Amino acid sequence: MLEIKCPYCGKRSQNEFSYGGDATIKRPQLGEEISTEDWDNFVYYRDNPRGKHSELWHHVSGCRQWFKVSRDTATHEIFDTCKMNEDFNV
Amino acid sequence: MEQAQNLSPLHFDHKLGLFGDHENKENLLKISEIKDLSIIQIAKFKKSSIEIEKVTINQLNLPTESLKVSHNQETRVLWTGPDTWLIISKKIDLKDEIYKSIRDEDFAITDISQSRAVLQISGVNAKNVLKKGSPINFNENMFKPNNCANTTYNGINILIDYLDDQPFCFNLYALRSFGGSFYHSITDSSLEYGYEGI
Repeated sequence: MLEIKCPYCGKRSQNEFSYGGDATIKRPQLGEEISTEDWDNFVYYRDNPRGKHSELWHHVSGCRQWFKVSRDTATHEIFDTCKMNEDFNV
Repeated sequence: MEQAQNLSPLHFDHKLGLFGDHENKENLLKISEIKDLSIIQIAKFKKSSIEIEKVTINQLNLPTESLKVSHNQETRVLWTGPDTWLIISKKIDLKDEIYKSIRDEDFAITDISQSRAVLQISGVNAKNVLKKGSPINFNENMFKPNNCANTTYNGINILIDYLDDQPFCFNLYALRSFGGSFYHSITDSSLEYGYEGI
């Protein structure tokens, strides 16, 4: 069981959170010409790294806020968490 | 034709009497349904420039930190998320008071009085009952009287409002449709201590 530090509520059990995917994925700009391949990459294709990974998590049973988590996918060590408009310190 | 009644969320679930391992025990757990509360959610709009520190409702400030509750005899204001609060009171005219204190250009004001089932559990073992199903850290003196937390209980999303610790007393809010399931989850966990439904 992970203990995740919500930037708003503090440390809470993983039970209260929901995983939201890769935090580095950026949606293509609205109004721009986008190739089908770029849309495919945005919608479907994800890396599956072993090691440090930036992720989105949702405190779904708590404050209901989205935030970013820097986590090691092999050891589950959590290095840092931050609000969506912030950057990691570690 | 029979007149329609307002039924409380736990009308068909909450039973009065003594249950579980209650014989020859003093200071039994007490479980009751809290009815007729006014529960108003307010959420500040992002575009609003109002200063939260200057807002008061029923002479209560809006807490700006997690877990915090500001309260008086009648009303409790619970922090439930950034720029989001629940205002809970026995006052029927609570919504009118809120509209006098804040503008609906600054806040989304939603009456959710009918959409919550509210249980109160009190007694020396009340905290132990909550520990069985909730991942909140009740140790290390982090969660104290007049704190609140959104969390889960056996997978059901709930809000815990910690009222007192002499003896322990908590108000527990669940979505109305989960009320029955939550009630049975709490009462099942209480059987080993014995409880009185009041």
